[in-house]
Amino acid sequence: MPELRTRLFAPARDPLWGAIAALLVSLLVSFLAIAVSGRDAVSGFADLVSGAFGGIGPLGETAIKSAVLILTGLSVAVAFTVGLFNIGAEGQLIWGGLAAAVVGQIDVPGAMVWSLAAAALAGALWGLLPGWLKVRRGVHEVISTILLNWIAIHLVQGWLVPGPLGAPGSGATVSVAGTEPIVAAARLPRLFFGSRLDLGFPLALLAAAAVWWLLTRTWRGFEWRAVGTGRDAARASGVPADRRICEGMALSGALAGLGGALLILGTEHKYPGVFRALRAGATRLQLVGIHPSFAELTQGLAVLLVAAPRLFLPLLARLRGRPAAAASDPPIPTVQP
Amino acid sequence: MNALELHGIVKRFGPVTALDGVSLAMAPGEVVALVGENGAGKSTLVSVACGLYRADAGTVSAFGRQLPPGDPRAAIDAGIGVVYQHFMLVGPLTVWENAVLGREPRRLGFIDRRRSRREAADVAARLGLAIDVDARVETLSVAAQQRVEILKQLWRGARALILDEPTALLSPQESAELMRTVRALAAEGRAVLFISHKLREVLAVADRIAVIRRGNILRAAAPRSRTDTAALADLMMGGAPAVVARSSPSRMLPQPGIVLRARELTCSSDRGLPALRGVSFDVRSGEVVGVAGVDGNGQTELAEAIAGLRSAGGLLSLDGDTSFHRSPAAARRAGMAHLPEDRRRLALCGSLSVEENLALGHHSSPPYARGFLIDRPGRRAMAQRLIAEFDVRTPDPSARAADLSGGNQQKLVAARELSGGPPPRLIVAVHPTRGLDPRASRRVHEALFAAQRGGAAILVVSLDLDELRELCHRILVLFDGRIAGEAAPDASDEQLGRMMLGQVPAVA
Repeated sequence: MPELRTRLFAPARDPLWGAIAALLVSLLVSFLAIAVSGRDAVSGFADLVSGAFGGIGPLGETAIKSAVLILTGLSVAVAFTVGLFNIGAEGQLIWGGLAAAVVGQIDVPGAMVWSLAAAALAGALWGLLPGWLKVRRGVHEVISTILLNWIAIHLVQGWLVPGPLGAPGSGATVSVAGTEPIVAAARLPRLFFGSRLDLGFPLALLAAAAVWWLLTRTWRGFEWRAVGTGRDAARASGVPADRRICEGMALSGALAGLGGALLILGTEHKYPGVFRALRAGATRLQLVGIHPSFAELTQGLAVLLVAAPRLFLPLLARLRGRPAAAASDPPIPTVQP
Repeated sequence: MNALELHGIVKRFGPVTALDGVSLAMAPGEVVALVGENGAGKSTLVSVACGLYRADAGTVSAFGRQLPPGDPRAAIDAGIGVVYQHFMLVGPLTVWENAVLGREPRRLGFIDRRRSRREAADVAARLGLAIDVDARVETLSVAAQQRVEILKQLWRGARALILDEPTALLSPQESAELMRTVRALAAEGRAVLFISHKLREVLAVADRIAVIRRGNILRAAAPRSRTDTAALADLMMGGAPAVVARSSPSRMLPQPGIVLRARELTCSSDRGLPALRGVSFDVRSGEVVGVAGVDGNGQTELAEAIAGLRSAGGLLSLDGDTSFHRSPAAARRAGMAHLPEDRRRLALCGSLSVEENLALGHHSSPPYARGFLIDRPGRRAMAQRLIAEFDVRTPDPSARAADLSGGNQQKLVAARELSGGPPPRLIVAVHPTRGLDPRASRRVHEALFAAQRGGAAILVVSLDLDELRELCHRILVLFDGRIAGEAAPDASDEQLGRMMLGQVPAVA
């Protein structure tokens, strides 16, 4: 079936297969590392898998966490579309979470929708800021978004949540309890009995579809892509490039802010004093005496390998059924003066 | 023994055969010209010769030694040097630093600066290349940067030199200077492959001319018979009727209404120096006005100011609207079309498709869009029409624009600006046919004439005086940011040349 193989491993699918290969390799390396450390790698991995996928409960937990990651991933992707590296999804997520936690305390009809909207708005403003600094003052967004992350972390988690917005504790001025809980109407409804899976996951999928539609089907999305791939050419062709960059960064921030809202409205139900980690199966690892840092090892390796897709290109070329050398004709290198 | 010998080269890209059994040989001391229309396979041939591409069949040898395929380093070591159309220089470094970059002479592990500088200066002096080896490359003119590229190749010991459209960016005087350099290189015993569209200069400089069409070398003959340019053009185009005939389409006389008015226009260059120092002129409806001048005398800045890309002092009005140039978007709304000088930066989003690039600027109105949605069938149909009309050679409308050859990128931009949207009111065309073969140039000229008949005002900036003569009702000559004079299209090269050097006071 050479035809199927050619279709399956078409060059357009290289990113997908590259990511899968990266995941498998990082899991394999972690497996070996656990085995070398003298622990029971097989049962460790069995627990890792069952903790993430074993049954409706664990699957739900994985979906909840992936919903947040889908939104922050979309956030980075949208900013990248207008040509900016938004490293600030974390800060935008924090403000979105806080806005959801504050607005969610108000008992009005449609509290959930209001909370989501407030989160998107808060994230959008925190994302707009580096976009505006970029087009007005030329501040590089990598620097400004990283710094804004720290500002958000310290303002929200270091001051607002334990301080002015914190739930009244036992007379102390600083609370570790987080904010007051949100009202029941603001919570994301759960979808199944026996799982904490809520509306957040389908919302995230919907957001992904909406972003795809916006970028590929509307001319506004086309202008964003034009600005991202050739800012000067887009501007010279009459596209208001600066405005498009600000819009893209605002949407990017809004998506990350929504991610924060899902955490608050779905599982936490208040802005907590301490955020828990975003890993599904890792806690189970400890049950068999394996240090949870092995999960971090897997994660780190996967990120590293996904970021280096060329590592797997020769392998993919071979799977495609053509010699790897076919990929060796580079375009004539050209350098802009 | 041949300096460079290509034998039976076949190169395919997927289903497309770019080179179909090409053989070409150059002896030391020989200048061979390679001519052919856009997309005939010239650039592919260069890439095979210098080892960037691996040929599907055939061999490349230099000085009797067969080169391993797909190995650029081996090609350099064998003495093959290429000067590309787009220079590969590092702006902040000096001329000599660029010359030795990558193969720096070393002493005790450090770059031997004294030796590097001396060797670079020696090479320049030997060939009479007018160049200051201590100048920073980014401060040099295009022609001088090209000399740096040549210097770099010679310092590396290139004995077979390939120049890819070397005169595309040069003024007539600079081209003449380059020709002298090429002949000097040949006199030293080097072989030079000279790639060009300009048949006149090819006849002047080459010992032999090779014509390439659709991946085949048709003829490699000595031009000493003074074959006229029309015969060569016929060969390039495959028997198309005399395409380089100088006859222009019937020109309508300009109508009385003034479309573009410039009064005491001033603006600064990128480096903050005055680029225009008070320029005044009018362009009327249906009038084509040319702007001539040695590169760097304000033409670029003039075009950018009108296009809304550069802020300017003085008065500039389009149909009475004095603020149309506040932004490119405003200028476009007022009916301006722009073929910019730097098309790769200012006209193309390289990683978007040909179809998307053809829509850029008109993309929010029919037939490209319906409401806020992209009209995909409408956009595709329009793209196909423009691709056919301007003969843009692309495998597919969804191919990346960056993957087109330079000439085809220019056709794409011309197609979009001249035919892609509502009829323009004002066209600012900078080097509109740079890199185009005679047939494609003709097509762009015809599109300009069609716009002119429709009442557009057209400003053409070009280094090609023949082109200006063919297109324009009158020619303004810029020198040092001022209009040094105005000439009728029948002015001689010498008259125009003197004005371009600022030697004639302004004529009415």
